[in-house]
Order: sequence, then C-alpha cells, then structure tokens
Amino acid sequence: MSEKNREGKRNARDKMKEARAAEEAKARRNKKLAVGGVVAVVIAAAVVVGVVVQNQRSKPETPTAAPAGTVGDKNLVIPVGAANAPSTLTVYEDPRCPACGSFERTFSPTVDQLEDAGKIVVNYHIVSFIDRSLGGSGSKYGANALGCAQDAGHFRDYHDVLYRNQPEETEDSFGSKQTLIDLAKQVPGLDTPEFQACVNDNEFGGWVSAVQQDFDKSSYKSTPTVLLNGEAVYPKKGDEQISPENLVKWVDAANQGKELGTPGSNGQSPAPSSTAAESNNPPSP
Amino acid sequence: MASQQADRGRVGGLRRAVDGTAAEWFGLAVRLGLAVVWGWAGLAKVSDPAEAAQAVRAYEILPESLVKPVGWGLPFLELALALLLALGLGTRIVAVVSAVLLLVFIAGISSAWTRGISIDCGCFGGGGAVDESQTKYLQEILRDSGFLLLSAWLVYRPRTRLSMDAWLAA
Repeated sequence: MSEKNREGKRNARDKMKEARAAEEAKARRNKKLAVGGVVAVVIAAAVVVGVVVQNQRSKPETPTAAPAGTVGDKNLVIPVGAANAPSTLTVYEDPRCPACGSFERTFSPTVDQLEDAGKIVVNYHIVSFIDRSLGGSGSKYGANALGCAQDAGHFRDYHDVLYRNQPEETEDSFGSKQTLIDLAKQVPGLDTPEFQACVNDNEFGGWVSAVQQDFDKSSYKSTPTVLLNGEAVYPKKGDEQISPENLVKWVDAANQGKELGTPGSNGQSPAPSSTAAESNNPPSP
Repeated sequence: MASQQADRGRVGGLRRAVDGTAAEWFGLAVRLGLAVVWGWAGLAKVSDPAEAAQAVRAYEILPESLVKPVGWGLPFLELALALLLALGLGTRIVAVVSAVLLLVFIAGISSAWTRGISIDCGCFGGGGAVDESQTKYLQEILRDSGFLLLSAWLVYRPRTRLSMDAWLAA
C-alpha cells in the first residue's frame, strides 16, 4: 500500500467522522431550539389564557345590582342621616377590622345623635380586604349582610349590632352566614325570609367587590378612615385627638351658620339619649 | 508534587460531586422544590383577581393600565414555570426565567422598602397595604434570594434525574 493511498483512506474516514459529528451537533441544536420554542409557547399561552380568564372572572367595578338607597355614581355608598345635612362624615370600614369595631363602639351613639339632629349625613363605604390577609370570608359576607340590611332599610341598627358582636380579627365568625342571620334577630323587623335569602345567596357579592375595588384605587390604606367634610379626623384632626366630645365640637364648628338637614326615620331606631360608649357583647361561643 | 496530586484529587472529587449521579438527584430535588414554590405562589394568587391586582398596585411602580394585566397574568406565568420544572422540560431556560423573575421581585420589594411604603409583598397571595409594624421586607428578600440560589443551581447544572430533557436526549 502506498503512503498516498493510506493517507487518502484516513482522510475519508476523518471526513465521515466530521460529517457525522456535524450532523449530531445540528440535531442537538434543533432539539434545543424545539425545546426552547415549546417553553416559550407554554409560558406565553399560560399568561394570555390567565389574563383572559381572570378578566372574565373578575367582578365589574360598576356593580350590576346595588342595595336600595345607595348613592354615588356607582351606588357604592350607604348614606345614613339627612341627605341635606350641612356636614358629611365619610367612613371606610371593614366588618372584621378591630379598630373599626372600637371606633364604632365608642362613637356610634354620638354619630347616631348627630344624624338624628340633622347635623351630618354619614357616607359608609363597607370595604372587605381583611379576608385577603387573614383568609376567610367574614369581611365579604359581613359586607354583603350589611348591604342586605340596607336593602331592607335597617342598615344603621344592623351595623351597630355587628360591631357590638365583632369577633377577634383572626376569628372568622362573620364567615358563617348563620351567625350573620342570627345577629339580625336583634334588629326588630330585619330577620325576614328575604333577608335570609339575601345573606345566604350572597346577593350583593358583586357590589361588595366593587366597593372594595373602589377603595383599592383610593389613596386610603387602612380602616377606619374617617373624614369630616373631606378632612381626615381619625385618629386626629390636626393635633386634636378624636373623641365623642371633639367630634360634636368639630361638626358644630363646621355647621356654623348653616341650616340643619331634615332627617327621616329611614326605618332606623332613634339614637340613644346618652353619648356613652356601648359595651361589646361577648361573642357567643 | 504531592500537594499538586492532592489538588487534582480534590478537583476531581468536586467535579464528580457536581457532575455525577448524586448531583443529578440533587438537581431533581432542586427542580421539584422550585416547582412547588412556583405552583404554590401561582395558585395563591388565582382565586381573587381584584386581590391580585391590588397586590401589584400597592407597589406603586406600574401605571394603573398595567396593574390588572400583570396581576392577572403573573400567577399563570408562575404556574407555567411550575409545570415546566415539574416536567424537567427546558430546565436551563426555565431556570433563567425563574432567576430573572425573582430578581424583579427582589428589586420590587427593595424599592418599596427604600421608598418607605408599608406593604405585604403578596408573594404567596394577600398583598396590599399593611401596618408599618407588619412589614417583613428583609424576610421576603431573604426568602426570594434562597429561591434565586435554587434557580442559579439549575442554570449551572440543568441536567437532572427523571426529566423530559434527559428522556429527549437519550
């Protein structure tokens, strides 16, 4: 065998080897590209499907149904007191929020009196975000039950009953619809089959979500948020701490020289004669 | 001379530890661990779209028009990563995406922290404003950094046991 021939054979073998290696490399590259493509498609499809599905699942910011007598451009607000009262107290509260409970138990006799005297109208925004951080559904179901009570014309009384019977924040008693219905028995005329159905069917669930979404977009971050004629008064107005006496003083100052409103009964029981704070009913075991 | 040999032995041992069968089983554990993290994080954000949007809004970084698309799409991105990691398909690319996402999260939490706003990161559901005393920025960043290490390992050594990648390569 000549040198030349041997060299030629080796060259051919090398070339074949190289060609095979190149082919394998190409196949590996193609495989990698295909896997990368599949990964990209899976991720893109998941995100697109997610956005579409969540868009369909999310409740509208303008509720399709709201409790009777609610006001505001989306009917998200429950007003209590004379519509033509000279001052407006705006209150954002979550049924499960302990600070709201303590605010209500201290201030509700005073607030009720100011309403009945035609001095203020209170605009309640019943928000429901504590369920998000603590889990459960007491904020949402409680807010819905308050909507049902508003629909039946008993918001103020039921609202006071709920806060007097508020459980510990971490306890989700209001997540039980039966508890909400049982508490309605303390409000004369509220515990009707309509009210029970409204609570059990979570009838104003969409409205509750819309109220919360409105709060989400607001600049307020905690509850209770309390504004007197748009100015924050909780826990302080300027340097002055809020107290029942100070609240009356501030309202009277704001109302000076203005005509008082004409409160209707709105199916509510009259305000207590004393401004003494109410005690918390021990939650039933 | 002797020390050189010892060095070589140590390097060889290290290489065996990083490339060997044990490392591929370790990689499997890392991959499945990260899959559980993404799956849990994604599922926790799916149930309430308004809550997911608010968790994003609370960072006060994105414009309102992007709050909902991000809040709604992000959990499904996380679920897709969980699925791909569980299958072991495209492990290195998925690990890179995981790492990038975690870096974005860490940057977002750090930004909220430095701007002095009080939020829950909403990493595993929840989110939104919280009382100043209830912020957990350091824990949240450390936790995400831990997940970042898992992702980094898979970028470095994407070959793992019981993966579709291995099955496709065979």
